[in-house]
Amino acid sequence: MQEAVYVTDIKLRVSQIEKSFPGVKALDKIDFSVQRGTVHALCGENGAGKSTLMKIIIGLYKPDAGQIFIDEQPVKVRNPIQAQSLGIAMISQELNYVPEMTIEENLFLGRLPVTRFGNVDWRELRRRTVKLLEEEKLHYAPDQKMKTLTVSDIQMLEIIKAISNNADIIVMDEPTSAITQQEVDLLFEKIEVLKKKGVSIIYISHRLDEIFRIADEITVMRDGIIVGSFPISKVNMDQVISLMVGRKIENIYPKKKVPIGNTLLDVKNFCCKNTFRNISFHVNRGEIVGFAGLIGAGRTEVMSSLFGMNSFTSGTITIKDHSYFPENPAKSIKNNMIMLSEDRRRYGIIPIRSVMENASIASLERMIFGGFTHAAVENELVSEYFSKMRVKTPSMDTQIRSLSGGNQQKVLFAKWMIREPDILILDEPTRGIDVGAKYEIYKLMTELTEAGKGVLMISSELPELIGMCDRIYVMCRGEITGEITNRNDFSQEAIMKLATGIVS
Amino acid sequence: MKRFSVTKLLLVVCLVAVLSAGVTTLVSAADTYRVAYIARAQSDSFAAWLANEMIAAAKEYKDITLDVFDGQADDEKENTAIENAITNKYDAIIIQPNNGEAQRPYAEKVVEAGIICITTNARIAGIEGASSVDADPYRQAAVNAEAALEQVPENGLVVVLNGPSGNFHADERRKAWQAEFFDKRPDVKILAEDIAHWNKDEAMAFMEDWTIAYGKIDAIISMNDNMAAGALEVVMDKPEYKDILSYGVDGTAEAMLLIQDGKMTSTCLQSAIDLAALNLETVHKLLTGEATQIDTDIDAPLVNKDNVDGYVEMYKARGMYD
Amino acid sequence: MKTKKTIKGINPGKYSIFFVLLFMILVSSLLNKNFLSAGNMTNVARQLAVGTILAYGEMILIISGMLDLSAGSVLALSGLLSVGFYKNMVQTMGVYPTLTIAFFLAIFIAVLCNIFNAVLVTNLHVPSFIATLAMQTIARGIALLYTKGQNILQIGDYKIIGQGQIWVIPTPIIVLAVITIIMWYTLKHTRFGRSLYAIGGNEEASIASGINVNASKYKAFIFNGVLVGIAGVLFMSRVNAGLPNGAIGYEMEGLTAAIVGGTSFSGGVGTTGGTLAGSFIIGFLNNIMNLSGVDSYVQQIVRGLLIALAVVYDVRFKSRKVNRVILVDDESKKSVEP
Repeated sequence: MQEAVYVTDIKLRVSQIEKSFPGVKALDKIDFSVQRGTVHALCGENGAGKSTLMKIIIGLYKPDAGQIFIDEQPVKVRNPIQAQSLGIAMISQELNYVPEMTIEENLFLGRLPVTRFGNVDWRELRRRTVKLLEEEKLHYAPDQKMKTLTVSDIQMLEIIKAISNNADIIVMDEPTSAITQQEVDLLFEKIEVLKKKGVSIIYISHRLDEIFRIADEITVMRDGIIVGSFPISKVNMDQVISLMVGRKIENIYPKKKVPIGNTLLDVKNFCCKNTFRNISFHVNRGEIVGFAGLIGAGRTEVMSSLFGMNSFTSGTITIKDHSYFPENPAKSIKNNMIMLSEDRRRYGIIPIRSVMENASIASLERMIFGGFTHAAVENELVSEYFSKMRVKTPSMDTQIRSLSGGNQQKVLFAKWMIREPDILILDEPTRGIDVGAKYEIYKLMTELTEAGKGVLMISSELPELIGMCDRIYVMCRGEITGEITNRNDFSQEAIMKLATGIVS
Repeated sequence: MKRFSVTKLLLVVCLVAVLSAGVTTLVSAADTYRVAYIARAQSDSFAAWLANEMIAAAKEYKDITLDVFDGQADDEKENTAIENAITNKYDAIIIQPNNGEAQRPYAEKVVEAGIICITTNARIAGIEGASSVDADPYRQAAVNAEAALEQVPENGLVVVLNGPSGNFHADERRKAWQAEFFDKRPDVKILAEDIAHWNKDEAMAFMEDWTIAYGKIDAIISMNDNMAAGALEVVMDKPEYKDILSYGVDGTAEAMLLIQDGKMTSTCLQSAIDLAALNLETVHKLLTGEATQIDTDIDAPLVNKDNVDGYVEMYKARGMYD
Repeated sequence: MKTKKTIKGINPGKYSIFFVLLFMILVSSLLNKNFLSAGNMTNVARQLAVGTILAYGEMILIISGMLDLSAGSVLALSGLLSVGFYKNMVQTMGVYPTLTIAFFLAIFIAVLCNIFNAVLVTNLHVPSFIATLAMQTIARGIALLYTKGQNILQIGDYKIIGQGQIWVIPTPIIVLAVITIIMWYTLKHTRFGRSLYAIGGNEEASIASGINVNASKYKAFIFNGVLVGIAGVLFMSRVNAGLPNGAIGYEMEGLTAAIVGGTSFSGGVGTTGGTLAGSFIIGFLNNIMNLSGVDSYVQQIVRGLLIALAVVYDVRFKSRKVNRVILVDDESKKSVEP
């Protein structure tokens, strides 16, 4: 890889930054620099270390080693307040504001002007706010409540807030993830203005098309290291994608070829107002169907609506030739469709209850005689699936929260397996669990297809999708941008292209 | 959205109800004296009875309309009710304090506003310009204590049930028992004494424990009839307690029956009927200018086996019994 | 793997409440020779029947992440209407038929009040704290309105429910025993019981697991209503009167018993045995203090300390387990992932 040889006017530089979390080296000897008055894009897969690096720059994390320089002067950033005084600001993915506060309060939060008596100088506050808004040609009333504004409005205000703080390094983390195309254009105009003023911008995004529109330089990260740093004119998108996904797929996927049966689930023109549109796909017996896409593409939303957790606006669903209308999870479960949620803590485990109860909660009617649960039957059934799935637990009475993530996931898997469902929606089934447990879950998925079940798998790990799926749908911004039907056509590049919305 | 409108509708309905109630009182009150009665609590059975009797007694006076307000057994609420009555320019305000000292400044405000003020059950003593009508709690207990002096055997063993401490009636009644009985009978031993908050069920639990702990008990000395009835409920059917003495105060319908059955020894009638009648009589005198300041008490008659029948008849006439 | 050891040590507190109870009985019997007498034991059980039944109702609701502040008022209202019905009808219908109908009338009224609570909580999303607080005032208001604030007297044979006995065992104790068995079985062995724990433990996960959360909450309130209604009958017949001001604050005693018995205010945890033990711990404590002639004010302080202690135990002991568990979690990750 060629290093950027581009020595002009470096505003921010980090040198040999290292950071470890228990069990993971998040950042390894990172060298990274941003020129004055430019936009530097930072990209990489989820977990590549982008956020960790940014959190070090704005003082949320302390690096294990390394040094930060601003204007080539070494600095120590201990906390975000200090970062602010050094001129560093961050506009994050989740916007930080107080919904009940007015625009003026929010703009000067933490630094409200005070009179000599120590109370808030409301008149001065109003004067400064009006001045700022006028300068930026924004037509808001200073006493409008934040909660009445759109995401894009709030983003603009965040930027104004950063500027009014005299920030000359602004980190933007996925700023376009929640705004419309027109609003993106507005944002980019604003960025151009900022550049002219000499502000440096670090721009983090999954959307390569945007990066190629706005960035001057690009740095690609993978697995905690920087794999390349270039002026934007020296690379094309394909190069960037292969740098991002660059690792080899090991053969840890116990994929077997099984005969594909008739259609189990057919979804047509599935829509939900703001989150997804015109989603059509189907699952056959014996298939594992993958859903790829970047975070925020709407995959989880589609599946939650299909399962009955969330509402939807239109669309037709057919399960085994019968039309189906999802109302709530209970109904879907009765129709032999289950969903393993990506958010294990929120929608999965009941932390304080035993592993036994967690495993049997979805199929109590199988253990009921004359209205009462039968302890022996329950024990037998749960034990059977636990041994099948190799759940490691000290006892059936152990609270599930005391198990490791992988074992928790296996218990939840067992919970659904006891019901012997036909259609399994697995949302990030291997997230945050160790390799051994992953392998066991893959094996189970294979067994399910052998038994003629249909599996839908959402995953952000491309190798896993490529390794396990028969077909892959790719989503981007709430729509299916493509379907790859042949396993021979599976490649990370092909998926990433569709996922980032590049029409090839 | 739908939910909001339902809530709003409910609010509007409540508001209209309150307003229309207010309007009717104003209209009907045009040519009569308007008297506000601030009751201690509509949920306390004596106070509720008194409020009912006040309304009944007021009907006897064609030139008086009486409005009852509920202090909800809370000083703050009672004081607010007094203030509202002042604002509404009543001709007279009768206050049944929840706690005399807490209502004193507000009773004084009534006088300052030039409104006739009566404090009743219990009176707030020493307010310049205010009148009072009361049943004297000390006297009520004292008449029982005087009877007990002769009835409780030599070296008698007694248990004592108290009302909530800090309550004027509870404290005054207990003081009377101390001065009129215990100080004069040093031979009597108090086995146990506890606060049953005027409640029958709490008194039952205490008595159950005490009968186990002490066995022999000669007398139950209770600061009201409810607690005495509760204690009696425990020992009523036990032959070893058939001679137990028991004293209460208030003269409730239940106590009258117990006395008639020979189960309870005596009580003192605090007659809501008499108290209400005397209140209305007093307020009428003050309103018509017949007098400018009155302090008066109803009688504190001792009720025992000899005279209980008359009181039972009185309650019967009021429909308290079957 | 040292992690395994820590996991194994997780359940020491499961039966600790019963040891506390036993310890208490032991100490009390040493303090007062009458404590263990049959007479005293039946007394305590009789005194506790109403409170324990209310505590069961509170427990069901707390387990599923709610609570009932209206229990005392609804108890009074249902008991009063039941007494009132009995008194009016006994002449025409005879003692036992009237008694039976009066008994079910109380249950019906209490269930009705609790359905009102359930509508507010599940359909209108009012926090149960507020909804039942409203019901508390409403029910008490109706009770006072119905009686004009006066006690209902001369309730005749109505008192046999609360004061009678079958063989040598007082009826309230038999009622309590039967309810305890039903409670235990319901919570432990019915789908409904399991759903309650799941809902209190993690409502969203319960929905995602196909549990009909709203229906379960309705059932929980209705169950509570049945218990409150029975308690209402027992209470009124025990005091041999219809007391519109009766049972004020009983919901707090029920809550306290449930919490002392190990029911966790954060939901999802609580057992019938624990609540029974909690109720008896409080009952024995009051009883031994009365038997030993402890000053009334001191009694209040001791009761307060007991509650504080129970909650401190609940919070500290259980949170310590969580910390330990998180450590285990991290360690296992460390050992496998890289």
